[in-house]
Amino acid sequence: MPILPLSIIVLAPMALFTVGLAPSGAADRRPKVMLGLARGAATVAFGVAFIAAAVLVITNADPTVRILPLGDVVGISIYYDALSAVMALLVSFVGMIVIAYSRSYLDGDPGQGRFVKWLCLTLAAVLTLIISGNLLQFTLAWVASSLCLHQLLVFYGDRRAARLAARKKFIASRLGDLSLVLAMVFVYSLFGTLDFATIFGASDQLRNGEGLPLSVHVVSVLLVIGAMLKSAQFPFHGWLTEVMETPTPVSALLHAGIINAGGFLILRLSDVISLSVPALEMLAVVGGFTALFGSVVMLTQTSIKVSLAWSTIAQMGFMMLQCGLGAFSAAALHIVAHSLYKAHAFLSSGSVIDLSRSSWVARPHGKPHPARLVLALVGAVALTWGVSLAFGASLTRAPGVFALGAIVVMGVTHLVANAIDERPSVFVVARGAGLAAAVAIAYFALQLGAEHMLAGSLPAKQALRGPIDLAIVALVIVLFGAVTVLQNTMPYRMSDPRWQALYVHLFNGLYVNAVTNRLVQRWWSIDPAPVAKGVKP
Amino acid sequence: MSRELAHPLSSLERTDASIDVVRPVALSEETRPVERLDLEASLAKARGRIPPLWPLKHFVAVNPFLGLRGMPFARACAEMRRITGADMLMSRKDYRALVDQGRITESDLEQAIRVAQSMPGGPRDLAALRKPLESEPVYDASTAVTVAEVVDRAHGLRTELHAVEEIAKWCAAYWDEGQAAWRMPWRALSPYSAWRAAARLDRTPELMGFRGFRSVVASLPDDPVTTIESVVRSLGLSGPALDAYLYRALFNIRGWAAYARYLGWYAELDGKEDNTIIELLAIRLAWDSALFVRFEGEPLRAAWTVAVDSMAKIDSEVDHELLVDAIFQTAFEASFQRDLISKLLVADDEDVSGTASMRPSLQATFCIDVRSEVFRRALETVEPKAQTIGFAGFFGFPIEYVPIGQSSGTAQCPVLLQPKFVVRETVAATDEDERTEILGLRLLRRRASKAWKSFKSSAVSSFVYVETAGLAFAAKLVGDATGLTRTVTHPSAEGLDSRLLPRIGPEIEAGTLGGRATGFTLRERIDTAETMLRAMSLTESFARLVMLTGHGSTTVNNPHASGYDCGACGGNPGEANARVAATILNDPDVRVGLAERDIVIPNDTWFLGCLHDTTTDEIRIFDREQIPASHSADLRRLQGWLGQASALARAERALPLGVPASAEIDAAIVKRSRDWSQVRPEWGLAGNAAFIAAPRRRTRGIDLGGRVFLHDYDWRRDDGWSVLELILTAPMVVASWINLQYYGSTVNQQAFGSGNKVLHNVVGTLGVLEGNGGDLRVGLPMQTLHDGKRFVHEPLRLSVFVEAPPEQIDAILGKHEGARDLVDNGWVHLFALTGDGRCCLHRTEAGSWMKVGA
Repeated sequence: MPILPLSIIVLAPMALFTVGLAPSGAADRRPKVMLGLARGAATVAFGVAFIAAAVLVITNADPTVRILPLGDVVGISIYYDALSAVMALLVSFVGMIVIAYSRSYLDGDPGQGRFVKWLCLTLAAVLTLIISGNLLQFTLAWVASSLCLHQLLVFYGDRRAARLAARKKFIASRLGDLSLVLAMVFVYSLFGTLDFATIFGASDQLRNGEGLPLSVHVVSVLLVIGAMLKSAQFPFHGWLTEVMETPTPVSALLHAGIINAGGFLILRLSDVISLSVPALEMLAVVGGFTALFGSVVMLTQTSIKVSLAWSTIAQMGFMMLQCGLGAFSAAALHIVAHSLYKAHAFLSSGSVIDLSRSSWVARPHGKPHPARLVLALVGAVALTWGVSLAFGASLTRAPGVFALGAIVVMGVTHLVANAIDERPSVFVVARGAGLAAAVAIAYFALQLGAEHMLAGSLPAKQALRGPIDLAIVALVIVLFGAVTVLQNTMPYRMSDPRWQALYVHLFNGLYVNAVTNRLVQRWWSIDPAPVAKGVKP
Repeated sequence: MSRELAHPLSSLERTDASIDVVRPVALSEETRPVERLDLEASLAKARGRIPPLWPLKHFVAVNPFLGLRGMPFARACAEMRRITGADMLMSRKDYRALVDQGRITESDLEQAIRVAQSMPGGPRDLAALRKPLESEPVYDASTAVTVAEVVDRAHGLRTELHAVEEIAKWCAAYWDEGQAAWRMPWRALSPYSAWRAAARLDRTPELMGFRGFRSVVASLPDDPVTTIESVVRSLGLSGPALDAYLYRALFNIRGWAAYARYLGWYAELDGKEDNTIIELLAIRLAWDSALFVRFEGEPLRAAWTVAVDSMAKIDSEVDHELLVDAIFQTAFEASFQRDLISKLLVADDEDVSGTASMRPSLQATFCIDVRSEVFRRALETVEPKAQTIGFAGFFGFPIEYVPIGQSSGTAQCPVLLQPKFVVRETVAATDEDERTEILGLRLLRRRASKAWKSFKSSAVSSFVYVETAGLAFAAKLVGDATGLTRTVTHPSAEGLDSRLLPRIGPEIEAGTLGGRATGFTLRERIDTAETMLRAMSLTESFARLVMLTGHGSTTVNNPHASGYDCGACGGNPGEANARVAATILNDPDVRVGLAERDIVIPNDTWFLGCLHDTTTDEIRIFDREQIPASHSADLRRLQGWLGQASALARAERALPLGVPASAEIDAAIVKRSRDWSQVRPEWGLAGNAAFIAAPRRRTRGIDLGGRVFLHDYDWRRDDGWSVLELILTAPMVVASWINLQYYGSTVNQQAFGSGNKVLHNVVGTLGVLEGNGGDLRVGLPMQTLHDGKRFVHEPLRLSVFVEAPPEQIDAILGKHEGARDLVDNGWVHLFALTGDGRCCLHRTEAGSWMKVGA
């Protein structure tokens, strides 16, 4: 029995979609009108998402609304649970900011109206994806969001670099679509439906029953592959670092609202995917590697936007790692926090000059204290442990949580170590320790909050699932720890030839882009057919 | 350099026989081997061709044609086109439109033909211009090429694109000023050595298909000049072909080359030689050499021979079609001059003598910047008895201003000068203990925020950062989007308590900082004050209040923010200079010293250090607590005038900014200055077209539309013509740099502008890329010049009007090559205002004076 108020959420994508229907020519002729409508639609979307979320909380409503069912299989339906609500609020909020930003930012651009049109359509597609009640609708929205985004990526289509990056993204996206469509086929054969609520129920039965059919693993792995392609995981990350060929608001929207659709796919279908240990392990391995790879390459990058893009790759990897370790609510929190942070980082990227003018080096500065890392580590472990106990979160309860807790310790260690810098002073160390304590408290408070809020949407944390799991957890701790130590000792290794070689290879992102660029251009050239001409005298 | 320069590439054959060696190309008989001396001269020429590029933290306007100023304008256009393919003039279509609109009249065209008589081969009469107006021009093709470009033509590849991309990527890492946390390990080496160290490890070129790249790099000589010589020799280049090739090679990486020239700029000002740009050239040539090896074969060999032959034939003959375009350009400028001169004639007829004898109610000095004109006119409208004065906004005080806690600061003076004084920032009305505490606190906060930044941006901790601090950005997004918060704290306020900010200012008392003398001795104060007052022709009839008004802008989240600040203060707000000047002129000891030198400042005269915010047209008065009580009524009146003048000036500027007339203009303008998405906070110096050095009475009461640099100058008070000499060699040159920066970015965005702001990607925290990568961009962004429908800036070379005897102007130009080049080669138009009310004499390119006006 559909609950009417919840279904108003359909107004969110519909408002934006309606505005996006304006023909490009008309939109470009009246950009001010277009902007007014778009801002109105985005506000409606945010408001509706908020109201629907309130309805959900207050009435504890059934998240499923079947608007136009076609049998039990597909149809037009909505699944608006806590996870969807959080994501819809996030995306519509970022959409509002990004559309408002585009008003002054693209003022005078002959394509401003068309730009806003595609922003609206992209947002509508992503919102549709988020509230989809079945996998077919989800898949269609998934493909649509990518195709709409493509129009934004080639907004300046005369730019060769824009076409190249969009081409690479196009290839990755179509592969992702393919794996999602295949997954859909297997889901249907496995569950006999594409309806989310039915699938989730059936998954719970499978979880409690004996023996998993092989197709559960096939489905899960296909979903994981689709998510990885969408969320720019290694080695399909290349396009993301090259899509600065389009106005900054697109980058903000992409990094805050679209790139995490891969993560959302995993979370949405976490009831299914969490059945398959191999799929989770694959997520953990690829995600963990991408996280480290992306964040180390980020350190070497010289331009603000490319640096931010590598950071996104790393953050998405970390989020995948969290999923792989079974910490789904942590991953959801990560998506939201990262989106807000990254939207701001892109939109304010012009302020990096102010930042650099402020970041002079306080002189005089001497050598760092040799024992500072050890000191910092001891402090950080004690602090993290203390705070986590205070919050009643035991680090040993689940292996995934343990690994992530270790990473928190490393982060806090880094903060404290940098506070105990060249000349330890009570003020700086105290401030560092104060910040570290605040970080630890905020971290655990937010984790608990997210876990509590999303308890109904996501599977519970899982216990150790076998030796491979154990190895992954150990590997994560060792590698993340190694990177932390290396980064803190890096400035003293500059003259080591191996270190220098490593710098060059990482600076080039391990050449993945050089190779893919060449392959893409060889097989599907973005240039007009090359004509070998003689040299004119 | 006397080192033996044998055959550097012959060693290559010995070290690695498997590499296909660059062999000299068979060339026509007259080609001779490159002499070292020849090469030195060619390198010096190539270096001089590239103008410097200042980093974004103090982005000042630069003449993009600095390296060509030694040749006449039309020839420079031809040379630029032949060698780089870049146009320095508008398209024929644009000129045709101006003729059709009636902006360019027949008399303008006739005037242009008269002015350009010295240029042989140009159109001689109106009839000769008729056909070009109707037909599409066919220009001579660009002929200079790099090896990569020849490879591209011969094989249908994009090697030049890759080469530029890779070199630019390397430059960004080498010169990065703080973006990367893990920095290139070879920054201590010279550029060429550092590049070789990286290139021997970097697999990118080979993965792109340039086999053997690393081996070629390894086999190159260690010395950059030797490398250049060996490459040039093996490519069979000499004479004009060599010059053309080297210029082309540098022009294709003009952004980073310009930054390299900037790095050597202050050494050059000191008269030293700086080789940074030559090292970059060596890197570029190393690429060419490697590509020649990779694509070795008959097609390339033949193509290259043809290319070298045609480069050798590059002559200085000017393309006839370009001469025609240059005439149209001159006529466009004549049209502007005609208009301006008619206005000046009207002003002369007005009776303004009455104001000269009375004591003015206020003297207000502003920077010569064109934006001051609007405000000065508004202030004079509000208070007709006020006298406004134009003078370079650093007020003759070339200072290095050192913020609290730092040990060095930025040069706050025109970039043609070196700072002479170090001035520390300090907090007024504090004792030593409190100052130490403030300083200590700022240092500690700086370090704490460094630790936080490291937590935010390091490899592993950044994940924890996002999960703990990320949600807070929801509030920050709302705050920044509504303009309630600033994206980041303003650098000048960072680490200081907000209650202290109003008390922060420059310290003029002599002292030391890190072993360097700071502040001014009494003698220095008196000397500088005297020079300044004489240079602005302000030596008598002082008002009770004299404003010294620097200027700065208010923008948020704008990489090019400093481009809106004061160019005369080296791309910084002019506040510190104005305050230093005012404080010194209020010093009783200085006044005694000045009286001894015949400049008597009345006891009831008080100087005010002020700042004109060019974005909002607000005026801020500093150090008000020091103003004597006797002047409080004057101050109140002044504030009333300033408030009204600000509103008037804002109303005038609102229209071109697209602020609807119905809107609350004041609020709308302030809102723009806080909008983080605003790409046009103000129009800056767009529209600038003329420079007038004369007493204000020659221009007072005329609406100059914010297009004119105004410098007060009274030749009757100029003993020995030293002030005239200063004006022609400093403010005029700086104004022409700004003018040509706007000109170049307007006529050819691709070559001389920095492109679309919405694609800007700040690299190395020093410059911008347009989009993902490629070369560093130079010049002004499109949005600074264009409102989306049309160029707000009209590309007009600067028309300079100086009220002074022509023979004195001639004498000074005779002494100074730099200024003479600008005038005689047509980079500015020079007029002498004769002062008899009958306007002007126009100096022709041949050096004679031609009467214009009524």
